[in-house]
Amino acid sequence: MDLALKDIRRHLGKFIATIVGVAMLLTIVLVMNGIYRGNIADGVWLIDNTATDLWVVERGRGGPFNESSRIPLDSHKSVAATPGVAKASPLVIFSAQRQIGARNQQFTIIGYDVFGGLGGPARIARGRGIEAARYELVADGKLGLDLGDKVRLGIHDYTVVGITQGAVDSGGNPLLYLSLPDAQQVQFQQDNRALVAARAANLQRLERAGYSSEQAARLLPLLSTSGDTVNAVLVRLAPGADGVRVAQHIRDWLHFNVYTTEEQRDLMLEGRLARMSAVLGLFRVLLLIVSIVIIALIIYVLTIEKIRSIATLKLIGASNWVIVRLIMEQSMVLTLASFALAYGLRELIAPGFPRSLAFLAHETAITFGVMLVGGVLASGMAIWHALRTPPQLALGG
Amino acid sequence: MTLVDVQKPVVEVEGVSKTFGSGETVVLALKPCSFAVQEGELAALLGPSGSGKSTLLLAISLILEPTTGRIVVGGQEIYNNGWTEVDDRAFRRRNIGFIFQQHNLIPFLTAIENLALVMQLNGISRREATRRAKELLGYLEIAHRADWLPANLSGGEQQRVAIGRALANEPPLILADEPTAALDTERGTKVMALLKKIARERGSAVIAVTHDHRMIEGFDTVYHLNDGVLQRMP
Repeated sequence: MDLALKDIRRHLGKFIATIVGVAMLLTIVLVMNGIYRGNIADGVWLIDNTATDLWVVERGRGGPFNESSRIPLDSHKSVAATPGVAKASPLVIFSAQRQIGARNQQFTIIGYDVFGGLGGPARIARGRGIEAARYELVADGKLGLDLGDKVRLGIHDYTVVGITQGAVDSGGNPLLYLSLPDAQQVQFQQDNRALVAARAANLQRLERAGYSSEQAARLLPLLSTSGDTVNAVLVRLAPGADGVRVAQHIRDWLHFNVYTTEEQRDLMLEGRLARMSAVLGLFRVLLLIVSIVIIALIIYVLTIEKIRSIATLKLIGASNWVIVRLIMEQSMVLTLASFALAYGLRELIAPGFPRSLAFLAHETAITFGVMLVGGVLASGMAIWHALRTPPQLALGG
Repeated sequence: MTLVDVQKPVVEVEGVSKTFGSGETVVLALKPCSFAVQEGELAALLGPSGSGKSTLLLAISLILEPTTGRIVVGGQEIYNNGWTEVDDRAFRRRNIGFIFQQHNLIPFLTAIENLALVMQLNGISRREATRRAKELLGYLEIAHRADWLPANLSGGEQQRVAIGRALANEPPLILADEPTAALDTERGTKVMALLKKIARERGSAVIAVTHDHRMIEGFDTVYHLNDGVLQRMP
């Protein structure tokens, strides 16, 4: 006779409420797993999905993602001339925030050479890639844009010609691709009225400093900001070229910092992602421990509630195994049912979750295993108490 | 079967005593006592609280080891001067049925499941246990409550189910702890009559610890315990 299931059937409402409560906690654990992995996947998505071998950035800088890097626009020409380089393309990358549709959204703009250059979208889910030199864009589906939509960036409107799926920056924000000149314009070009105001202010400043109008007019272009910079140059190596040697050559002769894709990846994982991953990992462990402790307490309380029945069972000759099985089975049912419900909730939540979630089957299996072992251990305290209960308790003595 | 032609003892207690503590703090809870209960006999253990009744009952139940003396149940020696070789739970399953003051039915099992459980613990198959439990509930005239949970039964009905559970494995000995204390006189009298019927028809020996003087008349033998000394009442 399965005493555990009979007891559960008798206290079904209480048991279901407990399962729902524990499942909520486990759902958080599972979603945390997803956020943890999603954070890593997002962090390296752009690096992994930009078909490039080397990343060339400003000397002394950590790369276009970890800190700002500015190099002259035509640097890619000298990089392209380096022995072992098959192709070198300029890349502009910067964060932006605009009202798109009904929402104020943050995204990352990538400007690349749309005519055969590197750094463009890896896959287009709908529509096509950018084919015109100006005023076209490819956006990720997360932005909620549709083909043909017009988006105002800076002083111009851009038409959506392609939609990507899952193209995100290291923070999980969607990517928006523009041609290189468009991206530079969005980044550097000011509104005409702002330009006129800045020009007037600079003139006044020079005149106050004692320069004549003629001198001030000559100096004025030197005070205005230049838009002829890019953030990085992407390099594809020629077949058989040694990436380390090519990188060293660019460092020595062109005075840039160069990272292989693997180094860029490590830089991202050890830098920006390391602390966030550590925090998420810590939360995962803490929540797992809390879940096990809660199961332990619930099983303990359930056991204490039937301690007189356990004493009676001992008195009428039930073996210890019958009592251990009663407690252990309830703990297992609680753990398994909670995990199953949590898994279902996770599947329900994941599609609409505001951040990217990435689930690894083996990680879910490990969490399940830990919960199962935790469930067994959790019942230990209750089993210990039950086995120490004297049978004479049933006699009231 | 009547007491006249029953001679075989089910329980034999010889010189059993129990002391707790040692040295200056030693307490003699039960002074050496001897008695026997035959097949079909109903014996009552009377006495005030702390007189040693429970100690004696626990010793016969293989829960508390006596300090001295010998106890034989169903022809098997379970204690000899504080020493036992018997597997207590297996022995209780086969040889002793228990009836409690508060019935102590397993609350999440129905009446029939409470009976079947005891049989299944003794190795009887589920189907056979259920068949016998149904039969036993019929014998106790409570078959119509077979699928009811204890909480939905009256006190008297619960006690009948508890008696059925005690009888389930047809043990030679039934130990009852205040079996009528929680019942009114009418229901208590019915339970006593039922215990007597069981003892006579099934040949079980019944030892009941009781404070309930209303029911004394129903017992074949009455023992009185006072300050650890056992005396047979006339």
